[in-house]
Amino acid sequence: MLGEFLHILAAATISWILFVTVDIFFRLPEAGGVSGASAVARDIEAGGGALAGGTMMGNIVCSPDASAGTLLAACGVYAAGIPGGLAAALMVFVGNRICHDPGYAGTTGAVLATFVVYAFTLVGFSATDFIAGMVIAILTIQGLSHTHASRLLDRLWRARQ
Amino acid sequence: MIVALEVAFGLVALLGAVSTALIRDSYGKVISLGILVAGIVPFIVDRGYLDVAIAVSLIAPVATIFVLMVVRREQA
Amino acid sequence: MIALYLVAAIAVFAAIRVIIEKNTARKLPYTNVMNFAVAGALVLLLDHPLSIVAAAAYFVGSTLEANAIASTYAGGMKR
Repeated sequence: MLGEFLHILAAATISWILFVTVDIFFRLPEAGGVSGASAVARDIEAGGGALAGGTMMGNIVCSPDASAGTLLAACGVYAAGIPGGLAAALMVFVGNRICHDPGYAGTTGAVLATFVVYAFTLVGFSATDFIAGMVIAILTIQGLSHTHASRLLDRLWRARQ
Repeated sequence: MIVALEVAFGLVALLGAVSTALIRDSYGKVISLGILVAGIVPFIVDRGYLDVAIAVSLIAPVATIFVLMVVRREQA
Repeated sequence: MIALYLVAAIAVFAAIRVIIEKNTARKLPYTNVMNFAVAGALVLLLDHPLSIVAAAAYFVGSTLEANAIASTYAGGMKR
């Protein structure tokens, strides 16, 4: 019981680092991909947040990016192993194109996450830990406090530049 | 399904229904309809009707887009 | 099994946060959290290869819905 809980927390940390790294590497905080992302960014900035972090949160809302890729890849590995993860990557690619997003952040994140999750299942983690961990990771970015999360993402984005 | 999970997802569906009825802002109503669908889909999947779940989760956003056309015409 | 309870609790929490938030554009990130939680719960509920397709279809569909709402809201604000 306690061991499973610690596994979920560790998986949440790993997937948080993975998807934030991929998103910042693909320059998601730079510009809103669609007009809706800019609207979300503007309203978060009006609420006291930072603009670059708000833009990244808007992009996460409006199109399946690396966070969605990580979640669906973990689901795929849980249900069908590595082929399931790669099928999830294909579906994320189709979803990106449906949402008018020209980027490759989602597909890259899904393929990377497939191998990361599979490697951790060999060590003793379960793929369900990564599903719950990814939900906790997205909760810390999008669900607790938009002001603090956008400031944190803004600081990380400045460190990358 | 386990009773606690039924209560949780049923609560999500009920919250969506009640807030759709009570919220006055038209965009808020559309978002609340999304919450209603999110509460229903786990019940369909739990019975094993995966094809029905796929169909519902593809039809519901298309319906929302049609509702949005009406919302935009009202706001303009 | 604890993963499923955790995901369901996060779904309820996010749904409540969506309803209490007043600003339309700031509702959408909370909706996104709820969609993540429900998509994870779909796979955890039924361990079948087709459930990945169901989770992906639900997730892409709800993202498209959020995208359409945000774009319409942005267009409506400009006018």
